[in-house]
Parts: sequence; structure tokens; C-alpha cells
Amino acid sequence: MSNEPALSMEDVVFRFYEHGKRNILDHVSLSIEPEKLTVIMGSSGCGKSTLAAVAAGLYPENGGFLIQGKISLFGHPVEDMDPRTRAAYLSLLFQNPDLQFCMDTLRKELYFCMENMCMPPDEMEEKAREAARRMGVLPLLDRPLHTLSGGEKQRASLCCLALLGSRCIVLDEAFANLDEAAARSLVRQVAAMKEQGITVIAIDHQLELWREAADEIIVLGEGARVLQRGITRENLSSYMPLFLAEGLSYPEESPKKEPFGAGQEMAVSFSHVTVPAEVIKKRFKKPQFGRILLSDVTTGFPKGRMTAILGESGSGKTTALMAILKNHTYTGSICVNGRDIAGMTKRELFHQAGIVFQNPANQFITQNVEQEVRCSVLAWNRGCPEEEAGRITEAALRAYGLWQHRRYSPYMLSQGQQRRLAVLSVLSGGQRILFLDEPTYGQDHKSTHAIMQQLYEKTRREGLTVIFITHDQGLADRWADHIVWLKDRKFIPEPQGEGQHGA
Amino acid sequence: MKLEKLNPSVKMLVVLIAVIMLSFQYLVFLNLTVFAAAILMLLFFSDARLPKIAALLVPAFIAAFGLFMMGLYYTRGSSILALPPPDAAMEGIAAVPYMVRAAMARNLYSALQLSTRLLAFAGMGILFALTTPGEDFVLSLMHQCHLPPKFAYGILAAVNLMPSMVREFRQVRTAHEVRGIHAGPLSMKVLFTMLVNSIHWSEAEAMAMESKGFFADAPRTFHKVMRVRWYDLVFALAFLGSLAAMMILVKY
Repeated sequence: MSNEPALSMEDVVFRFYEHGKRNILDHVSLSIEPEKLTVIMGSSGCGKSTLAAVAAGLYPENGGFLIQGKISLFGHPVEDMDPRTRAAYLSLLFQNPDLQFCMDTLRKELYFCMENMCMPPDEMEEKAREAARRMGVLPLLDRPLHTLSGGEKQRASLCCLALLGSRCIVLDEAFANLDEAAARSLVRQVAAMKEQGITVIAIDHQLELWREAADEIIVLGEGARVLQRGITRENLSSYMPLFLAEGLSYPEESPKKEPFGAGQEMAVSFSHVTVPAEVIKKRFKKPQFGRILLSDVTTGFPKGRMTAILGESGSGKTTALMAILKNHTYTGSICVNGRDIAGMTKRELFHQAGIVFQNPANQFITQNVEQEVRCSVLAWNRGCPEEEAGRITEAALRAYGLWQHRRYSPYMLSQGQQRRLAVLSVLSGGQRILFLDEPTYGQDHKSTHAIMQQLYEKTRREGLTVIFITHDQGLADRWADHIVWLKDRKFIPEPQGEGQHGA
Repeated sequence: MKLEKLNPSVKMLVVLIAVIMLSFQYLVFLNLTVFAAAILMLLFFSDARLPKIAALLVPAFIAAFGLFMMGLYYTRGSSILALPPPDAAMEGIAAVPYMVRAAMARNLYSALQLSTRLLAFAGMGILFALTTPGEDFVLSLMHQCHLPPKFAYGILAAVNLMPSMVREFRQVRTAHEVRGIHAGPLSMKVLFTMLVNSIHWSEAEAMAMESKGFFADAPRTFHKVMRVRWYDLVFALAFLGSLAAMMILVKY
């Protein structure tokens, strides 16, 4: 029994439209050894997440068509199983930690899992506590799930999977949005689960994260077909050209950094700024500040440079940005381009500074790519003639390589293209400051670096100021002129050195 | 004994029956008694806090007052607006012509009937809403009223997603404002984006639940089963019984 492959796929063809031409999984044959930690890598859009969902039987049940092929888990065909049986063999940990819970606390979520598996109710309390203790999440049991950080949520989810007793767990880019410390500690936990005989399949594009823990790395190409397998720690270096070509890794050298001195002009400056996580309002009482995220901060973000803000998840990076955009309470004074934002209307402020969020699809306002940019051009330049706006739009779209997609709906673009379009439309009013919230979200290194390259050139050529939040130290090291950490309620500049340019 | 301990389905049924019973009579005194009883029960037999009760009562009183004024002016086919206007030469109540005063007096009682009935309904609604945890209610609907688990857990998942949705909604609004689009709280553009997001979320949420072994028609065990116990029946009989007794007593 134990030498049956944990997952085997034979010549699997899967597509979302029955009569469509594009196969998401295109004649995929793959088998994964049991009780090993296998890492599956591939550039974004290659179908690796679909592969996971098909393996778990979630597709075609929830959409799409399995045209041909056989999938089996530990030797049993997956189409014969109901979800409960499948969960005993294989379960998934998803990328978005917010969208995997049904109940409001981990304890209840664990009960939900056990109810699904038809365990006797009187054993549940004991089993839940035991699983939480084993996975180190006892303190989280009764806290509302929506108050946990991303890392804690994934740890809670992992506890659910451990309790389900699945023989194989699949991580679908589950650690992609966590800060490095949290991701590393989760990888250790997953490696420990493997030691206890659980097969682990990690779908990811962060090579560094898994390098030590992986027993085998498989690289997928177009249509999720296997390009290369049998990559291990030992022979990894000989495959580096493949990783580079697939956009899964990137060369070490970084573009030229420009240090700044005392006379540097600041695009955004803080003076004695305090930002609370929330304001607690009680009837008949003065509103009070809840948890303090930034306390009495005085700092500046240099003009015409790229600044990275790093910090643990939940430390208040996004909230700090929201305060700069007049969307969150703060005390003290924040100046943008030398003017206090308290004295500006939102429209004035947004004419100078724009933001692109994690999910770029959130800011689309029209039904096609060309209108999307034209609409912004017109919104910021009232009275601009139509032909003029059309000309600006075309030039901008060509510069960003989106002109050939001008008739598409923004929602049909890939994640990387969506983010490029969002950046373009946010900057099309001549804004000089751009905030980016987690630019790595939902895309591979290749697309992220393409955008950063473009923005880097804009900072040098046009004096654009870019301030980005990220959990990815590598990205910050490579692109930022200036790195600050949000730690202990302060912005702490990273000590420069270690072969980097700078003073 | 707290109201929170009662079975939510039984409580809902009692409130519904009481509402129907009150709908067929016109007794101001009875309406006020039911209202007062509901508030007193909330104050003494539940964990509901007074400020919360008061906050919910304010709109109820406004609605009741509106209904009262409307009843005063328009009931029984004799709208006083159709009557002669007040005489400008006189002052105070004397300025109101006799016909208007007579019509108002006639209307007063029916206006009171309508507005106190609304108060009674509001009192019972608040009684139910403030003493029933949402999760217990859904579980009870599943166990006592045979709501399929598919819907029950779907509702719970959606409710528990609310904090994330609120956060997302704020972000979408900011994202639109940054684009130079004015985004009010009910802007169609923002709502459209939220709709697109909700579809993605519900898909992801459904797949996550299925991956954890949830299956609509499969048998399952339950950690917490809402049961109907003796005190639920006692509560139902006492509440509805005393209501019926009062209806008879007040009438005859």
C-alpha cells in the first residue's frame, strides 16, 4: 500500500470552457511519492493552482471540465470519492487566509471539521485541544479568527488539516503573503508534519523559502506540463538557468541605489504622528484610541526615490498608508510635498498621490482597458479635449505594453497586467507619488520585477516617488534606495552596508 | 433562568404567534402591557444591556409617533385636512373649529391603537433579536426546522466573513477615490466591484469548506445540538397563555 504514489495523474486534460481551445491542464502526467515534501514551481498562470484543485477533486465539481485523464490518490480514483473520503486522503491550504474558515473561532472551526468527518461529539473537545496543543495554537483557540494575523490564520488552518487526518496536504501558495519569519516557521512546522508520515505538496514560487526543506522540486511549464523534476538541494545549482528562464528566480545584482543626504527634499514627511489601530467610540464618552500602531513618529520619505517599508504582518504598514491618504485617524502632522494634508481636500491630495492595493481589480471602474485610462485622464484634467485624452491614453498604454489589450475587460487580464494597468490609471493624472501595497501579491517574480523596473526608471527619469509595502526583503533589497522597518511603533531606517550602495 | 437559554426556534414561533394574535384585536391597554412586559423581561431575565435596548427603541418610538400622527389626521375616512381651516381671529384650541376637534377626538383612539400595536411588535422583535445569538439561531433552524446544512453553514460562513468584507469595502472606496471618482457609501461602481469580489470569495469559501470534508448531503455529527426542553414549552405556554387570558379579560 505505502508504495502507491500519493497523487498520480495520467494524461489529464482540464479546461474551464467545454468547447474552449485553451487547456489549463494540457496532457499532464505526474506522480508524487508518498511521505515526501515535494515543491511544485511554475510561473504565474501556468495552471499550478488549478492542478491542486483538480487533484483534490474540487474541480470539475466547482467548475470546468475534465476532458480526459485519470487521477488517483494513494491508488484510489478520485472521481469515486465523496468530499469526506477525499479529505481523509488529501486536503488543501489556500493562498488567501481570510477565505478558508466557516466559523468565527478556531475551536468552532475544528468542531466543524470533525462534524464533517462524523466523529462522535463527546470526543470533540478533547481532540480539538490535543490538536491545538500539538500544532502550537492553543492560545488561538477562542480568539475571533478575523483578529488573527495572516500567519496565525494559516497556522490555524494547518491545525484543521492536521485534525482532519489527511494523508497528504497541498499548500497552494499558502505562505506567499506572509512575512519571512512567519513563513519560515510555518515551513518548519510542515516539515515536522512530513516526519510524522504526511505527504506534503507545496505549490509556490519562492525558491529560497523551500530550498532546505524540499525533498524534490518539480518545475512546471505551460499547461502545467512537467518541465523538469528530480531537482534536489544537491543538484539545485545546475538548474539555475531554468529557474531564471521561467521567472522563478532573479539575478542577484541590483540597480544603482542613490543615497540621500541631509538636504534631500521629502515627498512625504511625518512630524510627531501617532496612528491608532482603531478608535473606540462609546456612548456618552470621549472616543478613545485602541491599540497604537505608530507612536510619535517623525520621519521623511525622500522625493524621487524608491522607499520600501518592511515589517511583520499586523504591524500597521497598510494603516500608516491609509493615514497618509486621509482615510485613517492620526494625530500630529503629515505633509505631502511640503503641504499639510489636513489643509487639503481629498481631491487635491489624490491629484498628487495615488495608491495601488494588493488586489488591483479593486480599482477598475470601466469595462475596458482603454476607457480605464481615458477615464482617469479626463477625471484629472477637466476640460481636456477628447482627441487630446485619446492621444495621451494611447501613448501611456503603448509605454506599458497594454495597447494590444485595449479592447479587453480589465478583469480578463492576468494579475501582472492588472497591476500594471492599475499603476498606469492611478498615475495618469500626473501624480508624483505612488504607494504600492504588497506589489508581489498574486504574481510571480517575473511580473513583479517587470513593474518595479518600470517604476525604477520612472523615478530616475521623471522624479516619481515610490513608497512600497512588502514582506519580501529580497524585493526591498533589490529595488529600494531606502528601506525602513516598522518596528515597535516606529519607522527604523535599515542600517546600510553589506555590499550595498549607500553611505 | 435567562432568555438566552431558550430554544431560538421556539422563541421565534412564540413571537410570531403573539404578533398574529395581537393583529386581530384593537386593545391599547393590551398592546402597552405586551410592550412593557417585553422590555421588563429583557431588563431582568437577559444579558441585554440597557443602552442597547434604548438604541433600538428610539426608531421604534419615532415610527410609532409617526403612525400616531397619521392616525390622528386620516383615519376612518374623515381627514381633518378636508375640513374648514382654523379661524385666524381666535387663538389656542379655540381657534380649531368644532368639527376638527370632534374628528380628532374620534381619531385619537384609533391612532393610539395603531401606534401602540407597533410598539408591541417592536418590543417582541427586540426581545427576540437581543437574546438570540446568531449562531444558535442558525443551528436551531437546522435542527428544529430542517434547514439543510448546506444553507446553514453557508449563512454562518457569510456572516463570519463580514469583518473582512467591511475592510475590503473601505479599501475599494479608497481605491476609487484615488482614481478621482467620488465614491459615496452606495456608489454603484463600488458595489459592482464588491459584487465581483463576493463571487470570487464565495467560490473560494465553498472550495475551502469542501476541502475540509464538508458535503451538502452527507451525514454528519453535531458538537452542539439545539434541543427543545421542558422550559421552552413552559415559556411558550406561559407567554401565549397569559396573552390569551388578558385578551379575554380586557374585552369582557
